[in-house]
Amino acid sequence: MTADRGLTGRQPKAVQSALAVLECVARLGAGVTAKEVASALDMPPATAYRLLNLLVGEEYLVRLPDLRGFALGRKVAGLAGAIAPVRVPQAAREVLAELRREVRAGVHLVLYTATTLRVADMDPDLPLQDTQLVERHLHATAAGKLLLAEQPEWRDLLPPSRLTRFTAATVSKPDQLDICLAEIRAQGWAAQFGELHDRVRCAVAPVRSRAGELVAGLALSGGSGTQPPATVDSVCRSAALLAPLLT
Amino acid sequence: MPRLARVSPVAGLHRRRLPFVEVLAQSVSALAPSAAMVTTPAIVLAGSGVATLPALVAATLLVLLVAGCVAVFARRLAAVGGVYTYTARGLGPFAAGVGGWSLVIGYAAVAMSALVGCALYLAALFSFSSSAVAWLVLLVGGLAGWCTVRGIQLSARLALALEVVSIAVVIGVLIWLLARSSGSAGSAALVVDARPGWGGVALAVVLGVTAFMGFESAGVLGVEAQRPLVAVPRAVVWTPAVAGVLFLFAAVAQTVLLRQAPLDVLISPVPVSRLAADIGWVERLLDVGIAASFFACVTGSVNALARVLFSMGREGALPSVLGRTHRRFGTPFVALLGVFPVVVLAPVVALAAGAGARSVLTGTLTVSAFGYVLAYVLVCAATPVFLRRLGELTALPVVGGLVAAVLWLAVLAAAVFGPSLPGGRWPAVVWLCCLVPGVLWVGWLSRRARLGRVGVYDEPTVGSVLPGSLAA
Repeated sequence: MTADRGLTGRQPKAVQSALAVLECVARLGAGVTAKEVASALDMPPATAYRLLNLLVGEEYLVRLPDLRGFALGRKVAGLAGAIAPVRVPQAAREVLAELRREVRAGVHLVLYTATTLRVADMDPDLPLQDTQLVERHLHATAAGKLLLAEQPEWRDLLPPSRLTRFTAATVSKPDQLDICLAEIRAQGWAAQFGELHDRVRCAVAPVRSRAGELVAGLALSGGSGTQPPATVDSVCRSAALLAPLLT
Repeated sequence: MPRLARVSPVAGLHRRRLPFVEVLAQSVSALAPSAAMVTTPAIVLAGSGVATLPALVAATLLVLLVAGCVAVFARRLAAVGGVYTYTARGLGPFAAGVGGWSLVIGYAAVAMSALVGCALYLAALFSFSSSAVAWLVLLVGGLAGWCTVRGIQLSARLALALEVVSIAVVIGVLIWLLARSSGSAGSAALVVDARPGWGGVALAVVLGVTAFMGFESAGVLGVEAQRPLVAVPRAVVWTPAVAGVLFLFAAVAQTVLLRQAPLDVLISPVPVSRLAADIGWVERLLDVGIAASFFACVTGSVNALARVLFSMGREGALPSVLGRTHRRFGTPFVALLGVFPVVVLAPVVALAAGAGARSVLTGTLTVSAFGYVLAYVLVCAATPVFLRRLGELTALPVVGGLVAAVLWLAVLAAAVFGPSLPGGRWPAVVWLCCLVPGVLWVGWLSRRARLGRVGVYDEPTVGSVLPGSLAA
């Protein structure tokens, strides 16, 4: 049911118009009305209204509570986040280097947008087995679960049909994931053991802006037995150090 | 610029769980197509003869006009109160209160009707005596109540399965009956080929639109649907379109079949069942199908009813306890538990007082029709006003909304003042008696300016816009 009959690949004009509407809302700013979009784009009003409703339906746009104005939806962050270049400040790299000397586990930095994550700085000596898996399968990694726990409704980001099972320990039932995310919200950090690769452990401490927004995660990874509980504390301390450097 | 809330005013229901087919199941189950396919064409044929097919086409078009109006709203806001909330956004709280209360009566009455229907067909299936119907109403009501409290996904999936089975059974039986039909005219042919007067045509249209009622009920799944602004309007338009085709097929089939039948078959309660009566298992299969469809209709109507009351509770138009949701199941369980005793006990009392099961079934169905029609009139009238408020008015919705409102007002007038519907005049009286207290209550609230929050829906929150794009 994802394909809309009104918009097929054979109607390049419709796609162009839809993107123009999206761009117009981004340019004119939140609160722009349908009429303003139509006149700014010199488009027949009925067409503009239809495209706006379509984009709202797909959640690229949001209709504000007065029902007249439009704003960019959370989903747009996914578009931008996936293509933005990753930059980690030198000061933050030094904190990571310091931590890597301290603990006997892979130390990685993950950067978050509202809906995506990128592995920004991977431990050169103890790398992750597969960064693509980490970035894609949010339910099976500690970094991903931290992002899911941050969502108003994780199902918006990851349809329950995509809870792929990697190992026997993977959380693949929506109800289980609900419980798991509630725990993460309560304790403030995320961990998993053997859910993506057998016997590989990972824990992530959040790095938050002053407003409380999740901007990055400091991850430890390694085989079983690499992380005594004390390590989590030192990671949380380092995460706190990183906050002013990354926000 | 409006500030965004942190939490949606209708939070507490399970968010974004139902894929499109389960949203569709809500509308389809509340409409109960297979029960209507079996019963409606024969009733219309008995009263309106050759006008049956044109009247059903007209009814389908009328319903599609309302569907178009409802879809205008459903594409723009994710409501939990369905047509009630839509009316509020167009015509304001007072009109919404009247339409909403009428809709509540409609959903409650159709739930009672379907409950009795389900019990009646189960009793026929197991050859129970007619005194068992009241007990079966209690049993079925309890089961339906458990399903709806247990979670919207469970009841939607169950309804979907039951509807698929029952529609398949009805189509199969009709095709089978057509294949073995002889072709010679029976004594019912005189009635089937009769030319009715205008009163008969009007009655046929009114009965025709009654068969579609409930199609708009996907509008209550604004929170629970995965992509509400796409799935709800689609379900609301597709359901009557497909149901219209099914009804026309059933009407054509029954016109052919009943022309060859004796007159007493045509005027029997379920002529299709009588036609298949010579082979016991076919008749039983039909009973199973219709009972299943009625059961799905109970859950569908009560789900919709409880969510309208839930919205009213959250708005302060009714006690706020109705706005409570179950922590684990995410259903408006207080509203559900509040309505179930009424929906179950009203027909049980009527049956215990000596009313025939069939007259309870048709009587409550007629009451519900009045309830729905008034709600439809108001939501159609609300459409152009709503779009004007938004500054998104175009020619088509103005014309469509006004034409629909006028035509549906005519349907209401025909139903109230025209030739008498099944069940006589008392359903109209019952409907009015239920409506008046609601209207007085809304009037009282509106004088005390306590309807300010009417029209709540699943507003976007801070979490739903692009972070940083809007000062929170």
